[in-house]
Amino acid sequence: MADKEKKEKKGFRLGKSLKEFVYGMAAHDTARFALKTRGSMEHLFILITMGDMLGIPILPPYYSLRLLPYVVPQISTWKRRMLREKDFTDTLA
Amino acid sequence: MNSALIPVLGAIVYLVGMRFYASYIDRKVIQADPKRATPARMYADGVDFMPTSRSILFGYQFKSIAGAAPVLGPIIALKWGWLPGLLWILLGTFFIGWVQDYTSSVVSMRNDGKTFGGISYSLISPRARTILLVFIYVYLLLIAAAFANIVATTLANAPRVPLAIIMLAIAGVIVGFLIYRGRVQLALVTVIGLVLFYGALFANGTFNMTFGSVHTNWVIWLLFALVFSFFGSVLPIWSFVQPINYLSFYIILIGMGAAVLGIFVKHPALQQPAFTTFTADGLPLYPILFVTIACGAISGWHGIVSSTGTSRQLESELDARPVSAGAMFMEMILALVALTVVAITAPSKGVSPDKLFGQGLGSIFTYLHLPQSWGLAYGPLMITILAITILHLVVRFMRIATNELLGRAVPLLRIPSIGTVVALILTFVLVTTGTFKYIWVLFGSANQLMASLALMIASIWLISEKRKAGFALIPMIFMYLTTMAALVITCKQLLQQAASRADLAGKPLAAGTVIGNWVAGLIGAVLFVAAVILAYDGVKALVRFSRLKQGAPAVGKSN
Repeated sequence: MADKEKKEKKGFRLGKSLKEFVYGMAAHDTARFALKTRGSMEHLFILITMGDMLGIPILPPYYSLRLLPYVVPQISTWKRRMLREKDFTDTLA
Repeated sequence: MNSALIPVLGAIVYLVGMRFYASYIDRKVIQADPKRATPARMYADGVDFMPTSRSILFGYQFKSIAGAAPVLGPIIALKWGWLPGLLWILLGTFFIGWVQDYTSSVVSMRNDGKTFGGISYSLISPRARTILLVFIYVYLLLIAAAFANIVATTLANAPRVPLAIIMLAIAGVIVGFLIYRGRVQLALVTVIGLVLFYGALFANGTFNMTFGSVHTNWVIWLLFALVFSFFGSVLPIWSFVQPINYLSFYIILIGMGAAVLGIFVKHPALQQPAFTTFTADGLPLYPILFVTIACGAISGWHGIVSSTGTSRQLESELDARPVSAGAMFMEMILALVALTVVAITAPSKGVSPDKLFGQGLGSIFTYLHLPQSWGLAYGPLMITILAITILHLVVRFMRIATNELLGRAVPLLRIPSIGTVVALILTFVLVTTGTFKYIWVLFGSANQLMASLALMIASIWLISEKRKAGFALIPMIFMYLTTMAALVITCKQLLQQAASRADLAGKPLAAGTVIGNWVAGLIGAVLFVAAVILAYDGVKALVRFSRLKQGAPAVGKSN
């Protein structure tokens, strides 16, 4: 019984891996691009609202302070992304 | 020889390479640690760094690296016979190819997901990054030229393909809008796209629709390919490039699946000669074979993909081997399948690669009780799709690279359409004035040099970490010397012909071809000089790190 369960689990894992493999070939880059687009729009929004953290004051401080509680969880990720060294080979990713 | 033996040999090399050699390096040299956080888990910003499951990443890596080159390279190398190509694909992948892919993703993963530009800046020298980026730009130009030439030649040779490509573009645009604007389910959209495409293909076959006298005009089809790439470069990626590439995946998968099935169902004997001559078409087997078959044995493109996309998605260090090395071995199988498809055709002289592939696929389709005419049409179609899907992406990258490298000096180049037009003009000049066999060799040389530079970066990193570097260093030296030799031979022939205004047989060349030879020869010389400078800086870095004492921090090390 235990052997049968093991075989079934192995078969299930193999089936799952094959499905993921086909998904990876066919649609993963599309899904990744959609996530990157959403992430970029979010980071652009944070740049506009919190740009003065990086020395780029865009919005008046009043509005930045009003929005601050909502963007605090994303600030460190955003800063790291904005300040990370990039070159054109990044577009291949 | 039984043709089924070739993919079987490939499968054996795959299993032995992954199970023993790659596994040993992963455990003993790199010491992959499942507990160490990868950049994908550390940063997880939802933009560039996203932990992804191993199987998905394996499919993604394989699709990113497998283009037209693993199919075309073995076909072009058939001029020396099938045996040299077979040996290079098997042994090259086993000893060098997977090493390059694997170490590229590991080095980037252990350096916070940096690209080669950033890693070369810190490990080698600041000027190494600049030279590497310029090198990559020239490399992209050669890819564009080689593939645009292939698209133009195939479209001019095959009457049924152009309408299918146009329909693929239309279907792609419709699919893009349905996915992103219509929010239609992906499965349904896929079926709609494929029905549109195959419907056009069958309609063309039934009603024999061609483009009249325009059909065999090579320049018209070259302009078509460049206009296609223009749209790919300037339109939003979701509306053109991505959906077209998405549909193309299924079209290629069906063709390759049929090829593999047919080979195993009938397992015909190979008809092409195992070996013909050492010097074929004026080019010697060594070193030219090693740059003719690039992807499929080893390719610098894989290093770029591994160090940018894949390294930033690895969930665990243990995934680097099955994903990067595994995808390279899988591409080896793809190259072997392409080699087998053409090796079963009867020997003939002067047949273009697309026609040869079509003949092979036509024979295979008959083994599956399908009409031979379907295979004769599907083969060139696959070649065109494989080439054009890479072409429009490469032109897009060239536009971005032009902006990055020259955008500050010439602000006009920041405008996407102008940057694209510059890239397309350069491609047009290179294609119309150059000779395909030399453009392909230059493309292969740039590709293999990129691979040896990736191996050099990996070797320097391994030495800086006080790890055994022989498994990367020896292949690097071999690839570097072989590719430089190929560049010297190619440039010598090009410049000699340009100076004498005659080809190797003494036949006078047209004025355009003379210019093309000068341009191609100078491009080769630029690649040679860039590679020499990078090698000089690389050797200095190697010596510097070799002399560092154990435990002493190296410049710019982050891990």
